Amino acid sequence: MTVENNKSIDNELNSKFKLFSLSRVMAIAMNTFTQLVRMKVFYFLLIFSVLIIGANVLFLNFTFEQELKILQDVSFGAMTLFASIFSIVGTALLIPKDIEDRTLYSILTKPVPRFEYLVGKLLGILFLVAVSLLLMSILFFAVLFVRQHGILAEEINQMRGQPSQEQISSLREDIFAQGLRLELINGVVAVFLKAAVAAAIALVVSTFASSTLFTIIVSLVIYFIGHAQSMALNYYFPEGDMHGALQRFIAGIVAIIFPNLQIFNVVDGIVSGQSVPMSLMFRLTGLTGFYLFIYSFVSWVIFAKKEL
Amino acid sequence: MSKDLPTAVQIKNLTKIFPLPFRKEKVVAVDNLSLSVKPGEVYGLIGPNGSGKSTTMKVLLGLISATSGSSTVFGMSSTETASRGSVGFLPENPYFYKYLTGAETIAFYGKLCGLKRKAIKERTSELLNLVELEGARDRRLAGYSKGMLQRIGLAQALVGRPKLVVLDEPTAGVDPAGSRKIRDLIMQLKEQGITVILSSHLLEQVQEVCDRVGIIFEGKLVREGSLKKLIEIEDQTEIVLENAGSDLLKKISDLVNQESGVNLVRSGRPRTTLETLFLKETGGDSKDARNDS
Amino acid sequence: MILAILVVFGFLRIPFESQTEQKLKDLGFRDWVPNMSAREQLTQASFIGAIGGFRSLVASIYDLRAHEAFRDKDWGSVERFRKVTTSLQPRFAKHWDLAAWDMAWNAYAYYRSKSEFSKDDLELWRIEKMIMPSYLEKGLSFAKEGAKWTPESYRLPMVIGDIYSQKYNNPKLASEWYFKSSQAKDAPTYIYRAYATQLAKCVGMEEEAYEVVSNLYNDGKLRTLTLHRDMERLEGYLVNELVQAKSIDELKTMVRKEKSKYIIHEAIATYYLEEENNISLAIDAYRELLKNPKAPDFYRRKFALLIAKDPANQERAYKLLKKMYLSSPQIFRRVDLIDLKKLESELNIPTKEKLIKSEDSNKQ
Repeated sequence: MTVENNKSIDNELNSKFKLFSLSRVMAIAMNTFTQLVRMKVFYFLLIFSVLIIGANVLFLNFTFEQELKILQDVSFGAMTLFASIFSIVGTALLIPKDIEDRTLYSILTKPVPRFEYLVGKLLGILFLVAVSLLLMSILFFAVLFVRQHGILAEEINQMRGQPSQEQISSLREDIFAQGLRLELINGVVAVFLKAAVAAAIALVVSTFASSTLFTIIVSLVIYFIGHAQSMALNYYFPEGDMHGALQRFIAGIVAIIFPNLQIFNVVDGIVSGQSVPMSLMFRLTGLTGFYLFIYSFVSWVIFAKKEL
Repeated sequence: MSKDLPTAVQIKNLTKIFPLPFRKEKVVAVDNLSLSVKPGEVYGLIGPNGSGKSTTMKVLLGLISATSGSSTVFGMSSTETASRGSVGFLPENPYFYKYLTGAETIAFYGKLCGLKRKAIKERTSELLNLVELEGARDRRLAGYSKGMLQRIGLAQALVGRPKLVVLDEPTAGVDPAGSRKIRDLIMQLKEQGITVILSSHLLEQVQEVCDRVGIIFEGKLVREGSLKKLIEIEDQTEIVLENAGSDLLKKISDLVNQESGVNLVRSGRPRTTLETLFLKETGGDSKDARNDS
Repeated sequence: MILAILVVFGFLRIPFESQTEQKLKDLGFRDWVPNMSAREQLTQASFIGAIGGFRSLVASIYDLRAHEAFRDKDWGSVERFRKVTTSLQPRFAKHWDLAAWDMAWNAYAYYRSKSEFSKDDLELWRIEKMIMPSYLEKGLSFAKEGAKWTPESYRLPMVIGDIYSQKYNNPKLASEWYFKSSQAKDAPTYIYRAYATQLAKCVGMEEEAYEVVSNLYNDGKLRTLTLHRDMERLEGYLVNELVQAKSIDELKTMVRKEKSKYIIHEAIATYYLEEENNISLAIDAYRELLKNPKAPDFYRRKFALLIAKDPANQERAYKLLKKMYLSSPQIFRRVDLIDLKKLESELNIPTKEKLIKSEDSNKQ
């Protein structure tokens, strides 16, 4: 090694310590991502493929609306499931494991603020979720594309006589309206946003929980309450319903403390053909950012004081 | 911290109390402990398991906070993240991400120290060479032996060119040959003028490399000083004679009895301890793998 | 401390969230409300799934269950499951469509056909026959409810039209719904034709129907057999009205004024044929009629068959008819085919060369 090289290393090392460094965060994020990838999580794609191809083969005898809908339902269902599982289990698996294995010692005794460690982990998980959703989307869209053309050909085949160009185009319009469309991307984004909030929940839990199992269970409970709490909110701001003061109080507390995950459920509407305006997608994205920020902050407050 | 004599590590009146969950009692892990380490020194913390060595190190490294007292590294408080910029730490029984290869591990920690891509590449080769893991560079840590893990841990600790290296039980659980290698590496660090703090519950290890030693017992620093001085029993003098007949011994005993205030404590054949014997026969290595929590 | 952060955050986000929820509600993303009655409809797992963002998937599962119940002919369950699918996803038109179909067609037909029941069950059949109309009504109410939920779609108004035309035999209501359906943006063109067909069946609305039918006929994009028949029938009706309302002189004056109206020629021809039995004058009227390029093809058939009534012209007429039949068979009604067959036997056309083979006449 030359003297010059040595100097450059020294310069890098001696440069003033930064309170927040993106490269450190990215190093942790990429490390987390690599870790999950090498844990062979992407085998789930096989399951996903089996599911959507299975959904296709099983329901060939149904009307094309049913077939396309089931394909979308199964795909979105599997995507929601996988994304949420990755978010919660991934976060719950990695942070307590770092503590248990004392890997955290060697990381935090480097000039790495604890906040960066948390943000890095969260970003790593989100990156994994994003990549897996991307892969699933590609698979899903490809199958949908192939099926809608297949269905069109089958339907034309089943028509009596020689169908007119007009009949074909109206059929095509009917089928494609239920097939591959831009709106589906919004659905995938919404699935991602919900999973991101779930990951942030698991992050908070894992900073005070000591075991993986505890983190997973508590996060799942919060995840579930997060879905049911909009019902609670309905009681809190009743629409003509009369409820006891105590009930309303409790429902209000639940609504205030727990996240509202129901709000991200737009996939059902998208599958039945409705569209989400861009402004609403921005709203949901902003809300997710808000959640991520607050939950990262809360987990930092807990984690900063944690005795390791 | 005195101004004319810059210290590498200064711990002042450190106390750490762990509350026990669901109980009223508390555990005092470290009790009003003070110590300082000069730059370039190799300092050994020794004491039995649970005596507070690890706790002291954790406070020094900012992993836990002190209940009272202070701890500084090169003048910077341990509570500041920036103080870790000049420190390298090898935890006890280090466990790294086993899915990473040796080179990736060093690179990862290099990035955390703020190194750039090119510097990381050079530093990785350099360190793997130093700890003699060049051959295992692209193997995942899952396949490393304990000694190899210890050495990759040391390399990881050195990636940021620290001025202070903290080693917690560096040879625990490592086979004799590996243990020897690690000791050599510590000597190399010493030559480079790097300050080293190491903890151990094996006196023999400490003896070979340390300039100064502190003995911790039940959270208190009971003795501190240079190794030679510590081992001396100040008010006793030992005479070992070869081929002495019983007559001579009688004479000596009488002579001693004539002096007032002097007692003959014991006489007889000197015995080596089993440990010393063992270490002597096995070339100074220890197979002891007990852990200190 | 942490609780305080969460509470403050909660108060900050709740207004934003309920605003967003309201928008989602307005956009139709919150049609299904997880309340007690919804809970009673679903199994526990399905209910949780529906809350957890798998509403569409749960709806699909109930769709499959309905399909299974349909195969078991368990109509009560079919109805129950269809209610679930439609309430979970009321904006998915196909759910309503299938629900209406299962009720008004499948269940209704099941109880209508005696063959489904063994002799011992005849009593049961009689009882269940009483249920029959209620399934029709159930189908209709599914379809009507669905039409309310999916105002953009052509589908459910079409289904209602189908039920009125095929089950209730009510062309008036059927035509109204078909018309509604045909006005939707995504409506296929055959729905408008179905509207025309039903309208043509409405007694007392012939002029209105003729307006629609002739427009369809003249735009000529797709002339279905039904369209040909309706056109001929409606023009026949209008001609009769003319013949009955006007004297021959009046008709003749009209024909001079409105040359484009070939119907008046037809009325004159009809007058000569029916009132005076004067074939040659009728033929003259047809000659005039056929000069009009707008005149539908079936008048050529009428003309040729008229010529064939004179034995001297039979051969010539047959050649004409043969050519016509080969190029556009759709203008021949069944009744015309009988005439054609008669003509063929009168002319002793060998069986091999006959246009009308016995099975052909059935087919048409």
